[in-house]
Amino acid sequence: MNIPKQPVNQRVLKYLITVLIVVGSIWSASGLEITPERFLTAPSKVWILITAMFPLDLSQEAIDRIVPKVGESLFIAWAGTVIGAIFSFPISFLAANNVSLNSFSRATKQVLNVIRAFPELILAFVLLPITGLGPLTGTLAVGIHSIGTLGKLSSEVIEGIDEGPLESIKSSGGTKLNELFFGVIPQVMPTITSYWLYRFEINLRASAVLGVVGAGGVGAELINQLRFRDFPRAGTVLVVTILMVLIVDTISAAIRRRIIKGREIKV
Amino acid sequence: MIKVPKKPLPSLLTIIGYPFAIALTIFSFFQVGFNLEDFKRNWENRKLVTNTLFNPKWEWAIENASQALLETIQIAILASILGCFIALPLSFYASRATNQTTITYLIYKSFLNFIRTIPDLFWAMLFTVAVGLGPFAGVLALIMFSMAIMGKLLSETIDSIDLGPLEAAKASGAKHNQAVFTSALPQILPNFTAYFLYIFELCIRASVILGLVGAGGVGRIIETQRIFLRFDRISPIIVLILVAVIAIEQFSVWLRRKIL
Repeated sequence: MNIPKQPVNQRVLKYLITVLIVVGSIWSASGLEITPERFLTAPSKVWILITAMFPLDLSQEAIDRIVPKVGESLFIAWAGTVIGAIFSFPISFLAANNVSLNSFSRATKQVLNVIRAFPELILAFVLLPITGLGPLTGTLAVGIHSIGTLGKLSSEVIEGIDEGPLESIKSSGGTKLNELFFGVIPQVMPTITSYWLYRFEINLRASAVLGVVGAGGVGAELINQLRFRDFPRAGTVLVVTILMVLIVDTISAAIRRRIIKGREIKV
Repeated sequence: MIKVPKKPLPSLLTIIGYPFAIALTIFSFFQVGFNLEDFKRNWENRKLVTNTLFNPKWEWAIENASQALLETIQIAILASILGCFIALPLSFYASRATNQTTITYLIYKSFLNFIRTIPDLFWAMLFTVAVGLGPFAGVLALIMFSMAIMGKLLSETIDSIDLGPLEAAKASGAKHNQAVFTSALPQILPNFTAYFLYIFELCIRASVILGLVGAGGVGRIIETQRIFLRFDRISPIIVLILVAVIAIEQFSVWLRRKIL
């Protein structure tokens, strides 16, 4: 049987990528002084930590401290997402090249790229001396970062719309503003709302971490308990956080599915 | 007269959802303490930041941070490669299309979901306690991070592959593993490459902050300077990071276009 050969440049590319991956990982591992033995001994060390966490510290005092902190992370994530959603929505129209002017769209996109490049934590500690220790800093950091990411995603949704409805509005005498309100927004709203919820899920993880620099949330609790070697309580912090994230993820995913699929309407 | 169809009644989700979302928003803003009084007082401190932030000390940053920045990039490379290649077989077990055994499917699926719930920096904190401070903890943390994302994305891709080739391979006598290897794997390889590059970008961003909890990389330097409010030393580091991140992203965009 004759099996056709792969074209040469594809084979070359394949070897090139393999070499790139192997060389890249060896270079990195040697630079970081990481040996295979360290990987092999790591699981047993992690196991020691896990066993130290159990039984969890479920005393009333621990719960009273931890649960409000986890709640705070939730509120930071939600408030940050709302800030991101409110500001990114108009910005995304400016950034979409089929709705806004070409030069305008390019400039807005660059601004969004720059905003997106700063991780939340970096934003948080630059804001920290200005807005003070506490959840407000975290909220602003999460919010600003969300403007960047949501703006990019939403503008891409707007760029992908069906131009048909816009044309029919124009041909029946609608203004540019009518086109926006009756042609663009109804088309993009479901996808954009589901992106907001998706961002909320991501922000929840980000806000849990923010406490590390003192910007509110559960992160400070975890790092303190780990520093003081109070592993049962650190375990409780972890478990409560995981539970909260799981619950929120499940609810949010269900709502997103419903928004995208739509409700069955009996006519 | 044209008959306009009636607008359907709002669903239960809308009736409950909107007020709930609005209430949660108001409550959240109260909870995070949007207090104008504090804000005004702290606003006077802004000079602490702005005076130094826009007065970068370039020589210091290049001299002290370039080695750490390299370490950051190495952490991201090693962790994303290892994480993604560990996730590759796992995702076949976590997909309904290639794993018919319900119990193992559920175990792998929930395992991937579970590691996804823990944020990257939490992993880093845990690993610094378990294996000691340093870049190795960061590598382990990012392995978990990239494994979780790759596992989710890839297993969902495998769910939607064309089952025809799989059946054909089985009909010609292939064992299950052989069938998966020869007819499911090639279908998802382009997706795998695209996801890998995406995760690599995420890892580069994530590895910057690992040092804040002592897990290696440039974050360590940022953290020590942050405590002393030396924003004049931090701002050039941030710019260096931005340049590195953007350069790597451009490279990955170029590579993606080349491969796919």
